[in-house]
Amino acid sequence: KNPPLKTRAVPVNRWAEPGSGCGYGNCEQVDKDNSGSISASELQQALSNGNLCVSVSMFDKDKKGGVNFSEFAGVWKYINDWQNIFRTYDRDNSGRIDRNELKQALTVFGYRLSEQFYSTLIHKFDRQQTGQMAFDDFIQCCIALQRLTELFRRYDTDQDGWLHLSYEQYLSMLLNVV
Amino acid sequence: MAYNSPYRGAPFGSAPPDQAFLWSIFQRVDKDRSGSISDTELQQALSNGTWTPFNPVTVRSIISMFDRDNKGGVNFNEFAGVWKYITDWQNIFRTYDRDNSGFIDRNELKQALTGFGYRLSDQFYGTLIDKFDRQRKGQVAFDDFIQCCIVLQRLTDVFRRYDTDQDGWIQVSYEQYLSMVFSVV
Repeated sequence: KNPPLKTRAVPVNRWAEPGSGCGYGNCEQVDKDNSGSISASELQQALSNGNLCVSVSMFDKDKKGGVNFSEFAGVWKYINDWQNIFRTYDRDNSGRIDRNELKQALTVFGYRLSEQFYSTLIHKFDRQQTGQMAFDDFIQCCIALQRLTELFRRYDTDQDGWLHLSYEQYLSMLLNVV
Repeated sequence: MAYNSPYRGAPFGSAPPDQAFLWSIFQRVDKDRSGSISDTELQQALSNGTWTPFNPVTVRSIISMFDRDNKGGVNFNEFAGVWKYITDWQNIFRTYDRDNSGFIDRNELKQALTGFGYRLSDQFYGTLIDKFDRQRKGQVAFDDFIQCCIVLQRLTDVFRRYDTDQDGWIQVSYEQYLSMVFSVV
């Protein structure tokens, strides 16, 4: 079975495992300006379907705005892992995750959200406005949810699921995400 | 009450420039003659006065404010608004940059934001400079100052929506918090 993840110019699943031989060649192919570092836009072009700048910054250890070859191995594995997760939940192999599939995925990740909130998530992250999420938007949604949940936990000191914030506490908290 | 009447529009709005003048500027900025000014074109046309590239995030904020149908750029009609917006900010910046350094320091930032109606603790000005000063000088340049004010206004608008009893405090559940963040990012 081969799910129609037809959205990328360079098929991710055809890249060799990093360390298994031809990984470096693929890194060069993505690194179009031969800077030795893959920028968010180069990775984006390679994946053609998406905004993965959050992913690049996560692996860009020394904050130079791109990933070098050894960091790229991490990015590659990361995307591959996400692809496997995506395929697991995209039960009908449509290449998109619908509301129900999203609910199943996030429930397994440990989130407990109201029915209504899945619509909020799809509305927010489904950039193509089809009512379902493509692969890249799904990753983006999960990364955002994870980061925001960590931030919430930091401020919810009594762990009751509610925040009680003054105007400045609110501003300080939100400045972490803008 | 910290946030009663924050700055909304330009307090001293400039007169609109004449069309011929604007058109000549538009044509110079629209390098690829597409009839629409992109982020890159606007960024190249703007100066923050410090010989460093204009903050791309500020450029995006400004374009998206005037780009009505989300086409990723501004046409000539929309450009009139962009021009006025930037000119007004420039006047404000000059007013508060008292020592003409091209940067607004902590004290000047406090005066500016107080003038706009914000009431913030002294410590919080440090937080703002730390967040928006991209050049790590302990002061904010023109582009970072605009970005700081845009973000502050956007966050304050959202806070107000949740602070229904207007006491300067909000209580939000996990899902309300997530929805709140989604409306600002």
